[in-house]
Amino acid sequence: MKPKIPAQAGTFESSDVIVLIEPLPDKAGRKIEISSSVMQQFGESFTKIVIDLLDQFEMTDIHLIAKDKGALEPTIKARLETAIKRSLDLQEGTLKQ
Amino acid sequence: MTFEDTDFRQETLDLANPFDVKLVKGFLRELGFEFEPGEVECTMIVYNLKGELVGTGSHQGRILKYVAVSPKFRDTTAFALIVTYMTEKLLKIYKHTFVFTRPENSIRFCGLGFNEIATSPPLFALLEFGFESISTYQDYLKTLIRPTQTGVIAAIVVNCNPFTNGHKFLIEKAASENELVYLFVVEEDLSAFPFDVRWELIRKGISHLENVVMVRGGMYIVSGSIFPSYFLKNETISDVMQKQAELDVQIFADYVVPVLGIKGRYVGTEKYCATTAAYNQAMKRILPSVGVEIVEVMRKVATTGTSKLPIFISASNIRRAIKNDSLDEMMEFLPDSTREFLYSDESLAIRQKIKSSVGRH
Repeated sequence: MKPKIPAQAGTFESSDVIVLIEPLPDKAGRKIEISSSVMQQFGESFTKIVIDLLDQFEMTDIHLIAKDKGALEPTIKARLETAIKRSLDLQEGTLKQ
Repeated sequence: MTFEDTDFRQETLDLANPFDVKLVKGFLRELGFEFEPGEVECTMIVYNLKGELVGTGSHQGRILKYVAVSPKFRDTTAFALIVTYMTEKLLKIYKHTFVFTRPENSIRFCGLGFNEIATSPPLFALLEFGFESISTYQDYLKTLIRPTQTGVIAAIVVNCNPFTNGHKFLIEKAASENELVYLFVVEEDLSAFPFDVRWELIRKGISHLENVVMVRGGMYIVSGSIFPSYFLKNETISDVMQKQAELDVQIFADYVVPVLGIKGRYVGTEKYCATTAAYNQAMKRILPSVGVEIVEVMRKVATTGTSKLPIFISASNIRRAIKNDSLDEMMEFLPDSTREFLYSDESLAIRQKIKSSVGRH
């Protein structure tokens, strides 16, 4: 699947991660930018979680930015899943128009 | 043991309501900000259930403004909450957001994941966050790179509002003295002539010059976000304007010069406009340190009009002539592309807009 709209989930707070997703043109593949305050210790597993979840949802043509502030694995997964579903227009964001 | 009360609620204010404005104005005044409701599009506040105001944030376009948290709540998540709220709203509309803040506060935004692009101490630091960044612009620049034999490469930045013989003269001079010229056209649509029109008039006007590459100015070259004073009517050079100009030139020096290998920058001498004078001053201060020579070219003079006195060619003179219906006197100032455009029906809407406006642009 490919994202329909730009979406965001999570916050800038400590122990959380903020995930931004935007659609890319067809056949553009994935562009992933990951940064974390604990990159050195957990960067590898963080990257794996992101890629596994994108695989699980079969996401392609996607630009994903994730800025982590030491979130736990369930948090990361929840934020990613929410951002993906929002970008697919399956779930509403917290801001109402 | 005490418990931290972090049950924060957030709400968007109604800026048309004087009570709402008074609330945030009073809050910000205590923190040393003078809140101007006319300068923002939307303001939100964060409060707790005791009715205490925790913090506030606003934005205008893609720029975050007046982000402040009461000292009592600075060790809470309030700041992150406000910035999250704002970016969530803005990134639905724009590709990225900017923050201007004092250099000493820059570290707070960096901590959230913003990237600092440039600072102009002691007044401004500029940070950005979003899907695109200055490296996206650099990638665009890389697609335009043309190989050279000698490496004698110059840059010119023009708004061309509209394109005159003065601009043409400057570009031709640079093209004859350099192997390659990158011509940056200010992209912001805050001028009387829209970007597409300005771009087309220049493109037609310089089509005989093989070694000039036209470049879109994007968000970073004299943009309304970074250098808002440029698009305002200002008669005198203020500190704010000078610092904004420095910020703009700093970005050019740090991010554009190294990518394109620019060795010189051509500018016209400024006689009329304080803002452009401030900009030229900033260039002279910053650019030599990154190996860019400033070539100031005397403005082209034309004798025209009834008085037969020499007049320096300037785009503002053209706009004034349009306003006063005396465009015929300006023939000598105009290259073919601009002349044809101004005498065609295509430019009717623009001419009418200039006639009814009072600002500098």
